[in-house]
Amino acid sequence: MGKKPSPAELFPGTLDMLVLRTLVSGRMHGYGIALRLQQISDDVLQVGESSLYPALQRLLLNGWVNAEWGASENNRRARYYTLTASGRKQLAAEREGFNRMIGAIQKVLDMA
Amino acid sequence: MSLQIQTCMARVWQRLALRWQRERFDRELAEEIESHRLLKEAANGRAGLDPDEARDLSRRQMGNITIAQEECREMWSFVQLERLLQDLRFAVRMFARNPGFTAIAVLSLSIGIGGNAAMFSLVDKLLVQPLPYLEPDRLVRLTGIYPRAAVPFFQQQSRTMDVAAVSMGSDYNLTGRGEAIRIFGSAISANLFPVLGTPAARGRSFKPGEDQPGRDSVVILSDALWKAKFGGDSAIIGHVITLNGMDREIVGIMPAGFSYPSSKVEAWVPLRLDPSNFLEYWGGEFVPLVSRVRPGATIEQAAGEVRREVAQFKQTFPYPMARDWNADSTAIPLQQDLVGDIRGKLMILLASVGVVLLIACANIASLLLSRATTRRKEIALRVALGAGRFRIVRQLLTESVLLALAGGGLGCLVGMGALSVFKSVLPVSTPGLAQAAIDWQVVGTVAVVALFTGLAFGLAPALCASQIDISGSIKTGSQRATTSGWTRLRSGLIGAEVALTLVLVVSAGLLIRSLYSLNEAHPGFQPERVLTVRISPNQSLCKERGACIALYQRLVDRARGLAGVADAAVANAVPLDGYRPTVPVDVEGHPKTVDNPAPLLWASAISPGYLDMLRIPLLTGRKLTEADSELSAGVLLISAATARHFWPGESAIGKHIRITGEEKWRTVVGVVGDVRQYSLSQGLPSFVPGAMYMPYAQSAREDGQVSAAMTLLVKSRVDSARMTHEIRRLAEEQNPDVPVGQVQPLEEVVTGSISNFRSTIWVFLSFAGAAILLAAIGIYGLVSYWVTQRTFEIGMRVALGARRQRIIGMILGQGLRVALFGIAVGVVAAVAVTRFLASLLYGIVATDPLTFAAVTALVFGVALTATAIPALRAARIDPVTSLRMD
Repeated sequence: MGKKPSPAELFPGTLDMLVLRTLVSGRMHGYGIALRLQQISDDVLQVGESSLYPALQRLLLNGWVNAEWGASENNRRARYYTLTASGRKQLAAEREGFNRMIGAIQKVLDMA
Repeated sequence: MSLQIQTCMARVWQRLALRWQRERFDRELAEEIESHRLLKEAANGRAGLDPDEARDLSRRQMGNITIAQEECREMWSFVQLERLLQDLRFAVRMFARNPGFTAIAVLSLSIGIGGNAAMFSLVDKLLVQPLPYLEPDRLVRLTGIYPRAAVPFFQQQSRTMDVAAVSMGSDYNLTGRGEAIRIFGSAISANLFPVLGTPAARGRSFKPGEDQPGRDSVVILSDALWKAKFGGDSAIIGHVITLNGMDREIVGIMPAGFSYPSSKVEAWVPLRLDPSNFLEYWGGEFVPLVSRVRPGATIEQAAGEVRREVAQFKQTFPYPMARDWNADSTAIPLQQDLVGDIRGKLMILLASVGVVLLIACANIASLLLSRATTRRKEIALRVALGAGRFRIVRQLLTESVLLALAGGGLGCLVGMGALSVFKSVLPVSTPGLAQAAIDWQVVGTVAVVALFTGLAFGLAPALCASQIDISGSIKTGSQRATTSGWTRLRSGLIGAEVALTLVLVVSAGLLIRSLYSLNEAHPGFQPERVLTVRISPNQSLCKERGACIALYQRLVDRARGLAGVADAAVANAVPLDGYRPTVPVDVEGHPKTVDNPAPLLWASAISPGYLDMLRIPLLTGRKLTEADSELSAGVLLISAATARHFWPGESAIGKHIRITGEEKWRTVVGVVGDVRQYSLSQGLPSFVPGAMYMPYAQSAREDGQVSAAMTLLVKSRVDSARMTHEIRRLAEEQNPDVPVGQVQPLEEVVTGSISNFRSTIWVFLSFAGAAILLAAIGIYGLVSYWVTQRTFEIGMRVALGARRQRIIGMILGQGLRVALFGIAVGVVAAVAVTRFLASLLYGIVATDPLTFAAVTALVFGVALTATAIPALRAARIDPVTSLRMD
């Protein structure tokens, strides 16, 4: 199954940002989010369910996503998450912060 | 910024809203995760796995989802509170499942905590809280005893203090208002209440000068007497009551709760300061002096002044005083004076109660330690399921604190009972004693004590339990694994418990031996089948000697006429009834000098039949007879101690004694056996060398009159309640204005005189009993635990051929080693500690070897029994079962 990066190896808070980014394209359930992250990152980011669901709860609690029940592909009830307006703002803010951090790290790594 | 606030608000709101929808939340999360898994399963199916494999793989892929669920739940709820509730629920379940353990733990704790609550309330009220007077730290007591003449002397001379005087009080007849009653009153200088800083609640205090003769016909009532006798009617002020035949106007009522010099006092009258009444002014009742140190002066300055002035005052006496008279007089804080006598007793009780709590704690800690070990498997399981070490420790601490709080709650109830017992051990008149109660302050303290004891006895077991090797414990499922350090700690606890128990039981043992010695000590008289009743007319009745003599002659004659009465007599005091009829005397051949002032003798005034009735033996000479009347020559009997003191080695018959101030000498006509008049342990007060007996008709008090208040004694042929009634009626018939006390068997008077001592013993016995019970439980628990731990090993030994006796010996040896260690330490500690009890003991020394030996044997016996039961169980271990068990 390859080496699975544990959440600890992600920057703290990064998972929340990634989940928010995934939801920009529309509503999605937990399984979908995990699958999308895995696919887009070419299997590098395999988000375990044990960290995904607490992250989703965190986002809900902060009011950055909404949740509603709907039918899944196999006709079972699944909870779908959508981004809220404040969630978008938060994503923008986090992206900016993250870019600044990555830029800074890159600079340090690139120094002669 | 506003966004942040909004976010915050949203969080709180959502938490609150969802707090009430826990179940729905859990259900939905579980459903969402299950749906996630099903999607995974479907994906696995599409990847070509068969259905079973697809399902199993999806489950494995989900990982430890329980932890995630827990994490989510924590986010939504007030985690700390939730956990606490969960811990509490769990603890309650644990206790419900082990009712025996819970009952023992809570009961022993409640005994320890309850005792401490009671002691705390006493110590707080008696020793810590300031006296209920204005600026109590400026109040001092001048030590030593002073005649009334000292009052104006000190009042005029002192520059550092305002000096007041107060008598300890005596009985007064209150008449002229319905049935005559006997009240307890104290004579005080007119400035006492201003000195104490307590004004009257109604009416007024005494005015300056109201302690001068002619102006002193006033009285101030206590709140209690005012309510009981006068119905709390304010209009009573200005009315006149009759006290001991003297009319006095009620001028004031003191506030409720005020008491001085003791809580027994129901009324205050002015202390008459009359220089023309020589005997009363210079002799008579000696009065304690109490003063308020003036602003700017210190207690040290006041003490220095007292020393100087006492020396000056001694010069003013009209007759030579002993060289060492009041030589060590000084000023001490009033609080120290009031609680001086009981401080020691209180401290002993406090220490004992603390020891019981320590034993209880040690016991519960030990019980918890063993339970923590037997719960290893459960705890290991919880650790495996993701519980952190801190969580486990907290769970166990929650249990112990809950135990302690339950113990504390029950302890408050125990405390109320204990407090009433402790109160009965202390003198009723102790100021503040009545106010001591289990109030909110005490309950608060109990709660804190309980919390701390809970943490104290729970910490070690909790830490011990949390050090668990998960896989080892779960795999073997055995309860054998243990950390030797904790086992040693437990042995140490039990050993300490045994030591503390021994100290308490030795103390109780010493007191019981003292009681036994007291009961064995011959009081010098036989109280069996003698009934007594106190009759107290006003002293003014005896201005005419003949009236009093005739009254009591009539009473004795009529009592003798009652059916079933063997004999009747009167006496001014009966042994051990609390009266102290002492008079200063001149003794022939013993002139008074500066170093030998007038000796005090215990002066009994009796009717001739008294000595025979009480079987007080005549040693030499003759008895008193009816012929020794008012008109015949003065005679008296003396006790053997008096004869030994004044005429050692020679016959006392024919010697002469007179009451100081009298003209004529009285002749000693006989010597009788010594009687323990004052107390069973002491016999007579230390300052009284002996007793003398005068015929009532010839008797005299210091003022030359015969005593009006007398006790009628009746010896009945049969025990009968009817007799009690008849004697009382007989006494009351004489004069409705004469108060008549309760009819009391003399045996009751005797036992009553040591009731304080008995209740002290009772308290110690209950402490010792509780301690020994707790220690037995502790040892039993420890050894049972060892046996359980070593079941496998013992089974192995038996299988390999070890004999049962050897197994028993092995377990016994292990248990008794701990007990013997405790006993050894306890004996040393007891030797060091029991000397503090010395003042309570009678007839034995504080290191009485017999008591020590007996108690050591007792404690050892209890330890042996507590060890033997599990040891015998160990011997019955069946090797086949025990070896298969794991």
